[in-house]
Amino acid sequence: MKKRGLCLLAGTILMLGACGEENAVTGEEAAASADRVDNLTIGLHTDVGPLNIYTGNLDWMTDLVYDKLFSPSPYVDEPIPWLAESAEQLDDKTWTVKIRSGIKWHDGEEFTAEDVKFTYEYFRDGPANRHTHHVSEVPKIDVIEIEESGDSIRFECAYACPSLATITFADLPILPEHIWSEVQNPRKFTDLAVGTGPYELTDYQSDQSYQFEANDDYFMGTPTVGALTMPIIKDSTAMFNALRSGEIDASSRTVPAELVSSFAAEKSLKLAGTSALSIVQFGVNYEMAPFNEGEFRNALSLAVDGQSIVDTILLGQGKAGDKGYPHPASPWTNPELSTPFDLTEASKAFDKLGYKDVDDDSYRETPDGKEMTFAIKVSAGEPIYVRTAELLVEQMKQAGLHFEVKAVDATTYAADIAEDNFESYVSLIGPHGVADPDQFIMSHKSGYLWSKEIDYPEMDKLTSDWMAASTIDARKDISFEMQELYNSQPTAIALYYPQEIFAYNSAVFDQYVESLGYGIFNKYSFLPEDTQQAVSATQPELID
Amino acid sequence: MKPNFTAFGKKMLQYGLVLFVAITINFLLPRLAPGDPLLYFFDEGTIKELTTVQKQLALESMGLGGSLFEQYLVYLKEIVSFEFGVSIKYGLPAMEVIWERLPWTLVLIGPAMLLSAVSGVAVGAYSAWNRGKSRDVSLLTVMLTFQAVPGFWIGMLFIAVFAVQFGWFPTYGAVSIVQDGTITGWLKDVALHLVLPIATLSIATVGSNYLLTRSSMLESLGQDYVVMAEAKGVTKNRLIFNHGLRNALLPVYTHFMMNLGTLIGGSVVVETVFSYPGIGRLLYESVVARDFPMMQAVFLLITIGVIAANILADLTYPLIDPRAKSTRYGKGGS
Repeated sequence: MKKRGLCLLAGTILMLGACGEENAVTGEEAAASADRVDNLTIGLHTDVGPLNIYTGNLDWMTDLVYDKLFSPSPYVDEPIPWLAESAEQLDDKTWTVKIRSGIKWHDGEEFTAEDVKFTYEYFRDGPANRHTHHVSEVPKIDVIEIEESGDSIRFECAYACPSLATITFADLPILPEHIWSEVQNPRKFTDLAVGTGPYELTDYQSDQSYQFEANDDYFMGTPTVGALTMPIIKDSTAMFNALRSGEIDASSRTVPAELVSSFAAEKSLKLAGTSALSIVQFGVNYEMAPFNEGEFRNALSLAVDGQSIVDTILLGQGKAGDKGYPHPASPWTNPELSTPFDLTEASKAFDKLGYKDVDDDSYRETPDGKEMTFAIKVSAGEPIYVRTAELLVEQMKQAGLHFEVKAVDATTYAADIAEDNFESYVSLIGPHGVADPDQFIMSHKSGYLWSKEIDYPEMDKLTSDWMAASTIDARKDISFEMQELYNSQPTAIALYYPQEIFAYNSAVFDQYVESLGYGIFNKYSFLPEDTQQAVSATQPELID
Repeated sequence: MKPNFTAFGKKMLQYGLVLFVAITINFLLPRLAPGDPLLYFFDEGTIKELTTVQKQLALESMGLGGSLFEQYLVYLKEIVSFEFGVSIKYGLPAMEVIWERLPWTLVLIGPAMLLSAVSGVAVGAYSAWNRGKSRDVSLLTVMLTFQAVPGFWIGMLFIAVFAVQFGWFPTYGAVSIVQDGTITGWLKDVALHLVLPIATLSIATVGSNYLLTRSSMLESLGQDYVVMAEAKGVTKNRLIFNHGLRNALLPVYTHFMMNLGTLIGGSVVVETVFSYPGIGRLLYESVVARDFPMMQAVFLLITIGVIAANILADLTYPLIDPRAKSTRYGKGGS
């Protein structure tokens, strides 16, 4: 029998003192109450509805109300047990999870193993959402059963699932069965979310505000802020004006590069820099010529100068994408990846493939002499990406390729990408896409980075090996090979890794921590310090 | 004299036809734009993971199953029964969302329109009476500047000066999230939130009212009957208001009534700058989310508003200009 993750669980639990829960919570309460802030007002840049994960989702908001079996996320090396007390891998395909006892939902009902079983089955068999493939395909969980003890659940996968605890359990929020089993149509469900998390959603006014009250009985420590008030301010100027005027204490909208110096000069505000764990990418339509040629895509990657984009457009606020895809800060990414800018090599590669400028117009033609012009599609609502696309046009011109920017409204852009109605595009892909190793596999099946309908023998072989691998280390090795293969002929080229800078009033609250992929707004910022340490949360870099 | 109901009936029939065509366009227009509501629920990466069946089931769960014609029939049936579908984004009946937002829009746009119209007419009349004098030139310059400057910029300027710098007014929203629990406190809070948006909207629109009044008034003041009245020794105020302004008011009134019809649609720009939860922002958000039922309901409301304003204008023209009585509804002149 293989055991995995258990020592980790035991160690972490000991560290948290969660085994002696009553004492631990009492101690945390005492520590927290000394520094407790009554209310914190955070300006929110978007409206995600009443936190129904079927209609709108912002991971850190969902996390305030809901908990997962493991935390903080799949983006860290070793998530710790959260709603789970422990998890044990019985064989390649089977896991058993023991849940914590004594936890209550915000409405007072008891949290049970039935809730976990219901949630995983609902995600797998119910209406599709972003979590569906984590139980129905990568990995594929066939059996979810409650064991005789009543407090443990057995998961049986269709193929090896060594990372079930570290990825899947750390990604799926657990829903209350007594509420969701009664929901007829989850997309029309408008009740306020009820979870087990550190904050209870007490009020939501669409397009206006959210209000949360601290769950003082939270099993991982009493929250350090009594209430969170979140006005929805979508306009960036309005948001930053509200911060300057003191109407809000922090802004969930990141500070753009050009405003950093003016905010740094504000005495009442602090600026915290975090890794966005995202990639701004230059994607191509790999189903059409010439982007269907792996060597052409490699040459294209060599022609991209990410550093120039970072320096010119981001004023240095980010890192060039010269370590490829996925994100280099993810523990699941091959640290040896390299995708350098080399215009000479790019030109040689294009020449070798037969793409040459035969009519002296400074642009290359196809091997059969036809002119080539490609559109870079970009959302007009994202001025940084529009400027990035404009700079890319110049860079591609240096390589002899004729690209043009085509900016369209955000929804049209999304529709075009979803329907493959594009030649190339510039967009941002977030942590779920670039730091979750299961998603990398899924993106090669779904059509996002590749489609399972198109032959890709080398990648298919690696995917088969990956599915058969029964340990995390073996999977990691294969993932690293897949990433190398991908970056040698990328279908989405990493342009840069953005840095996020958040502004907040430190006089009101100054205990923010960074949870990788979540910035400073995450539930751990509002939990006691020992809990923050247990989930590997770090201090954000303060910007002067 | 008896009003000509046949002519009035024809007019109503005409408006009914306009309403039907508008309803049909309201249905088709959102569906002709690229994208569908699935893009609101799934990002472009996740949507690729869905099978055709999953997509179809998701659309059906939003009430968008079946062919376009079938959806159209359902839509017509809903309108006849005074139901306007369930918003995809908000998950609530579209009219419920609208009723929640409409009061905010009315208290914002209504006073702003009145303020803009009254001050535009007053200053326009004054300017016309003083044509060519320095005060006319100064007013003209100021009003042309107001007309040229974009509304969002005025709003941003107001926020920067009066909200951030002086701290006199809030920078966003219609009402503070935390209240003191008293009615007077709430009213004061709402009023404080309204000052800057109303001022912005009034300034952004006063220019057109001023220019229209001024030019119409100048034309009026040049007429023989005004010269005759002046020669007869009519007082200045009587000359301006009874002879000049009353005759100059018809195009201004038409302009006002046309705007009145669109009042219900709110102001996207001002509502966005001030994060104000009105109908304008609701419409914008619905378009972005491709929330078909919500878009249809708001468009329908605006259509009805415009038609109602037209009917109101038709009925009230004779009060402004008695000459209209003889031409509005047939030959039943005075």
